[in-house]
Formats: sequence, structure tokens, C-alpha cells
Amino acid sequence: MTPRAIRILLIAGLFAVWLAASALGWTNPIIIASPDALVGALLKDFPRFAEALSVTLVEIGASIAIGWAAGVVVGLVAGRFGALAGLAAPILTSAFAVPLIVLYPLLLAWVGIGWPSKILFGVLSGFFPIALNTLTSVQRVDPRFAVMARAVGATEMQIFVRVIARLALPGIISGLRVGTALTVIGVVVTEMLASTAGLGYLISYHTTLFDTGHVYLGIALALLVVLVLNYVLGTLEKRLGAWRVVQQEAGQAA
Amino acid sequence: MSTVSTVIEARAIGRVFSHDGAEFRAVDDVSFTVGEGEFVAIVGPSGCGKSTLLMMIAGLEPVSAGVCLIDGEPLRAPQPRKVGMVFQDATLLPWLTAAENVEFPLSLTGEAREARRSRAAALLKLVGLDAFSEYYPHQLSGGMKQRVAIARGLVRDPRILLMDEPFAALDEQHRMKMGEELLRIWTETRKSVVFVTHSLNEAIYLSDVVLVMRTRPGRIVERIAIELPRPRRFEMLGGEYVGRVRNRIWELISMEVT
Repeated sequence: MTPRAIRILLIAGLFAVWLAASALGWTNPIIIASPDALVGALLKDFPRFAEALSVTLVEIGASIAIGWAAGVVVGLVAGRFGALAGLAAPILTSAFAVPLIVLYPLLLAWVGIGWPSKILFGVLSGFFPIALNTLTSVQRVDPRFAVMARAVGATEMQIFVRVIARLALPGIISGLRVGTALTVIGVVVTEMLASTAGLGYLISYHTTLFDTGHVYLGIALALLVVLVLNYVLGTLEKRLGAWRVVQQEAGQAA
Repeated sequence: MSTVSTVIEARAIGRVFSHDGAEFRAVDDVSFTVGEGEFVAIVGPSGCGKSTLLMMIAGLEPVSAGVCLIDGEPLRAPQPRKVGMVFQDATLLPWLTAAENVEFPLSLTGEAREARRSRAAALLKLVGLDAFSEYYPHQLSGGMKQRVAIARGLVRDPRILLMDEPFAALDEQHRMKMGEELLRIWTETRKSVVFVTHSLNEAIYLSDVVLVMRTRPGRIVERIAIELPRPRRFEMLGGEYVGRVRNRIWELISMEVT
């Protein structure tokens, strides 16, 4: 059996257990909602969830656009100049280790309860892993490529853009994957903590009402967002970095 | 031997590295010339500065003392139109095909696509890889990658080809085969070649002149003209003359490897 088949079987199995347990009445519907409660929530409150989803998607979209751009630019610039990298790497690493959520009350005080605080937190969540990954990917590029490029007449700018940044690209995309996942978490979690709109808000609102079916629907939609984003980035990573695995194997053999 | 014009002239060049206040003379007072169409090998023990010396001739490493002339002009920066370069590692860009890798130097100066294409095709044919132009580096063997690197080094039709232990990563069989190939390419293109190696056989088999280097500081201790007829053949390596030259070089090198 292929790993893919095993994965599908595993998920289908869990699903079946959930269906059976709900149908046979083994579970408390307040703790574990039945599938029909989820479907019921979808039918009854579809417009509200669609609206919440669109709010969350806009917040995530804005956070990704800002966080990606800022993270990649800072990572590239810091990676380009050795002295700057020495300065930036420890700061980025320690900032990455801080549970940013402790700062959220501050952000609320600064920009209020509305969408700006979600976007700000989403950007912060994604920025550090993206900048750090970009920085280390640039620094890890084999310097012999730069020497080669200089020898064939590349300018400093061409060496950086067409050789070093391109060689670092698969690593940068790995960082984007981590950063994007953290951005989605950041946006949804801050919606749950304090807000008046979005998927996270609906999840936490219905939790307090013990509408477990609605909570599940919210969770399912949030998972869907993560799955789609992850799929897009995974495809991108594979397409732009197909050579990397082979390259590393060859490097070890040599 | 007829007089030929000089394409490379190193005048007392040296390279000093300073580390923690201590100075290390990697290359000291090296002078030599390379004539048009000449094949010169530089041999020496590892760490003797032969790669540093080559990097200085390429303009990739600053010169601490002396001056290096390419075509009579002092060298300050890499001269990609005059000097092609092949490294020990092929350093092919992994996301480009063989043909695109050969084109890469031309793409930097914005040369027209069609011209680039046909130039790359001609060079891949020269190195015997015309059937592999659409292959990616990871689909090529070590020897094939070096052939692509040689084609890339020649793509701007430079008069000089500098090679830094280009076949050192290959096994003995491929190494001899590539040596033969290189001589064929050299015969067809008549480039001036400077070839760094630590293999005495390779140096003698390929070259008109062998420059022998020694360590600490790295310097040239002898210039040996190889008086073997061309085309060269493998059997010559077993001959009495080659044996004598090899012993002489070994003597010079091993005096300090004690």
C-alpha cells in the first residue's frame, strides 16, 4: 500500500468512527457534535459563516501580502550583507521564540478591536519565520556559485538576484509555508480572543452557547483555508525546487 | 619553437592573507608568461597556492604585489570576454538546462535569444553533448557536467581558458578520457590554457609547459618545457622521457613533503 493510500484510509477511518459514535449515541453532543449538527449549522447559518469566512480571508490575505513582502525583503537584505546578518539573525531567532500572543493586549490598546489588530498580529506571526528562513537560505548558498557568476561577468546585482536569491528560493518558500500557517493561526486566534467578526469570532461565540455543530463548522472552514494555502505553497515549492533534493544527494556523494 | 605573442604575463605577483595580525604569504613573487595557443599546467602540493594564483590571473582574487597583464593590459577585474574559467566543481545552475547554462554568461549582457541559442548549440556540439542540451545538471554525469562547464567557459570565445583542477572530482578513467577530450577541444579552438592540477601525469600529458610550485610561501620553482610530440598518446606516459620529467617534478615537490 502506498503512503498516500494509508493516509486516506486513516482519515476515512477516523471519519467513520466519528459517524458511528455519533449515530450510536456514544457521544455527548455538547462535547463532540454529530455530523448532522455540522450540516444543520451549515444549512441554517450559511450566510453568517460565508460572511465571517470572507472577513477572515481578507485579514489573512492582507497579513500574507504584508508579512511575505516584509519577511522576504528583510531576509534578503540581511542575508546579502554579512555584517547585517550577524546582527539580524540572533534578533530574529529570539523574536521567533517569543510567544507573540502575550503582546496581543498591547496591539489591541494601540489599534483597537477591529481588523487592523488581526492583520497586525497575523503579520507579526508570519514575519519572523519568513525573514529567518530567507536569511539562512541566502547564507547557505554555496559561495562557489557567486565566484563562478563573477567570473562569467555578472554584476553584483546580477549575482545576487539571478544566482544567490534563486538558489535560496526553495528554502525561502519553506519559510513562507511555516510563516503562512502561523499567520492563519494568528488571525483566527486573535479573532477568538477579542473581536466582532470573522471565523474565530463565530467559533468562540458558539462555544459559549454550546452550539457544538456551529463550532465544528467554523473549525472545518479554518482547516479548509489552511489546506488550500498549504497545497498551493507545496506545489510551488516542488516546482521551483525539484533539483534541490537531487543536488543534495549528489553533494553528499562527492 | 616559433615566437608567439604573449597573452598572459605575471610580473612578480604575490598574495598575502592576514589573519589575526599574522601574515600568510599564499603566493610570493611569481612571474611567468603564457603564449598565444600555449597549454600551461601548474602543479604543486595541496596548499601551495596554485588555485590562488589562478584566481589572481582570473581577476577574482586581488593581487597584493606585482601586476598581471592580460593581452598587455593590467588586470583589475574579471575579463569574461578575454578569459573563460572552469572550476573543479562544475557549478552549473541546477534550474537551467545544459544549453541554458552554456548561454548564462551571454544572458547577463542581454544578448539576443537566437544568437545565444545557436552559440550554445555550437559549443555543446564541440564538447560532444549536442544530444544532451535539454538535460538538467542532475541528469548528467560528473564528466558531462564538466563538459558543459567547459562549453560555458568558451561561450564568449575568450582567448584564454583557465582551469582549476577541472577533473579532480572524476575517477581515473573519466579523468584520462576528459584529458583527451580537452586536447581535442584545444586543438580545434587554439585557446591559451592554464591548467591547475595536482596530478603529474595529467600535467605532463596535456601541456607544453609545466610550472612547478612549492609551499610556504607558494612560488614557482621551475618551468619545464614538455618535449613530447603532438598528438599526445597514452603510451607516451610509459616512456623514458616522461619518467624522467615526472621524477624531476617529484623531486622538486617532495623536497618539502618530509
